[in-house]
Amino acid sequence: MISEPQRTQRAELSSASFAVSATSSRTMRVAVIGLGNPLRGDDGIGPRVVAELHRRELPEGVEAIDGGTGGLDLLRLMEGWDRVIVVDAAEIGREPGAFARFTPEEVRLRLHEGDLSLHNAGLPEALALASALNHPLPPITLFGVQPKRIGWEAGLSPVVERTIPALVEAILDEVSEAAKSAKG
Amino acid sequence: MSGKKIEVHHVTRVEGHGNIVVDIKNGEIKECRFEVVEAPRFFEAFVRGRPYYELSHITSRICGICAVGHATTSLRATEKAFSVELSEQAWLLRKLNFHGEMIDSHVLHTYYLVAPDFFGVHSVIPLVETHREVVERALRIKKLSGDLCAMIGGRHTHPIALTVGGFTHTPTERELREIQERLIAARADMDVTVDLFATLPWPEFERETEYVSLHKDDEYAFIDGTIVTSDGFSYPIEDYKKVTNEHCVPFSTAKWTKHNRDSYMVGALARLNNNFDQLHPRAKEAAKKLGLKPLVTNPFLNTAAQVVEMVHCVEDSIRIIDELLTRGIKPEEPPVVEVKAGEGVGACEVPRGVLFHHYVYDEEGRCTEANCIIPTNQNMANLNADMQALVPQILDRPQEEIRHLLEMLVRAYDPCISCSTHFLTVEFV
Repeated sequence: MISEPQRTQRAELSSASFAVSATSSRTMRVAVIGLGNPLRGDDGIGPRVVAELHRRELPEGVEAIDGGTGGLDLLRLMEGWDRVIVVDAAEIGREPGAFARFTPEEVRLRLHEGDLSLHNAGLPEALALASALNHPLPPITLFGVQPKRIGWEAGLSPVVERTIPALVEAILDEVSEAAKSAKG
Repeated sequence: MSGKKIEVHHVTRVEGHGNIVVDIKNGEIKECRFEVVEAPRFFEAFVRGRPYYELSHITSRICGICAVGHATTSLRATEKAFSVELSEQAWLLRKLNFHGEMIDSHVLHTYYLVAPDFFGVHSVIPLVETHREVVERALRIKKLSGDLCAMIGGRHTHPIALTVGGFTHTPTERELREIQERLIAARADMDVTVDLFATLPWPEFERETEYVSLHKDDEYAFIDGTIVTSDGFSYPIEDYKKVTNEHCVPFSTAKWTKHNRDSYMVGALARLNNNFDQLHPRAKEAAKKLGLKPLVTNPFLNTAAQVVEMVHCVEDSIRIIDELLTRGIKPEEPPVVEVKAGEGVGACEVPRGVLFHHYVYDEEGRCTEANCIIPTNQNMANLNADMQALVPQILDRPQEEIRHLLEMLVRAYDPCISCSTHFLTVEFV
């Protein structure tokens, strides 16, 4: 999950929040935001994918961001990009390890029952608040991964771990599609 | 008189799962308690066997709101175990990062979680319709505090640049100046925030308890210091167990604590009561407007104390940046850590109160034992005692009103019972 400090941190530093993108106005700015807690079993899929992306050479203008369990702060993370891709564990009614690509418009994201709290606030609540405020957000694509186990443990279950190469490829395809649509 | 039974399963707008149970028959209280039903989290087990440099990163995932608090407390424990000294610049940056998170957490609690109670709405989202400017202001302050944290910690939520002995990244002079300008501009938002919360009709309820916090003579203590209590006790941080005295109660999965009385309170109100003299003059002014003068014994006013602390943190951040700029900010390599067998205790005043991390390391720098005592646990017995004192005073009110007041009381403590997962439930249409 966490390797030697210097190496991880340097890798993060080169791509994460410090980086001031020196990209031209024509370059599509895309954020891939991984959500979840690496200490909660398969909920850690988002940060795990982000770590995987940090090992790759990402196209100019693309950043992979570990959103952790940011709650309503997601709003802030999603602002200011041309496109946002969110990776999160999701109950999609499929077999563990399967993933689905969808947009917020295509699905109903269940808001947490009753009143809003911050710890159970997540993407659905952040989108609801943005919509109430008329805050413009970039187009969002979600990759939801069906978890096998969500509980207090570090590391993904093997079946979810095995899905990572295909998932990363699908995300990179999405990124290049986004880049193409910018030129077109 | 007929009976009243109030059972609130999973109180909302608090972090995690807690239940209120009140049973009143013929004017007599049969049951009255706050249950914590959250599953234990075993963080102590997570870190056992891990190398020292991972611990702050693992424990920062305990909480999505006070991640900097956990990381900083964890680092202090490790730094003490290995006798690592921080440079003056590293100290200033630690404090600045801490202030950022304090503002961030307090604005969440005061505006998003508590304010809806006074505006008659169930959450911040419908508040947009009636009080758009209030929500916009909250978001603006949050953005500033988040950007401040990201400038130092490397990302908004779980800091990555904090490491044993210092930082792996240093903000630039330009970044510091920009944030400072925004902090100075945020004074206006702070003034309006104080005025807003000064008008709120806080429930009337007094119950004196023991207030426990860290203390330093020369500054409002957030990182390190000594443990003090309003009953006149004082302990070095290493003696934290003399204060916390953890014990189990049958209806709570969270351990309770007690010191000189049956319970004690930690958090913004405890800090304000114990450390009023060390507040920034502008924060003292804010306290005056909000009617806070130690000893404040109304627990509902914990939220008002958080407003005072926001003002303090904005002002002290401006001062710290001045100091960093005067000294000249420059990248520094963290000191080389000389690993040895030993132990260390870190203590910080995180948004919800004093937090302790205690680690034992073997000669290879692997953690063999860990103990984390979080503020919410320390407040549980006190919250319960408040409920038991409050209910007899409001027995004649309608059941719905009793329920709402008890929920507000729970929320005043800003409890952070758990960090839940954020996985989505998706319905395809």
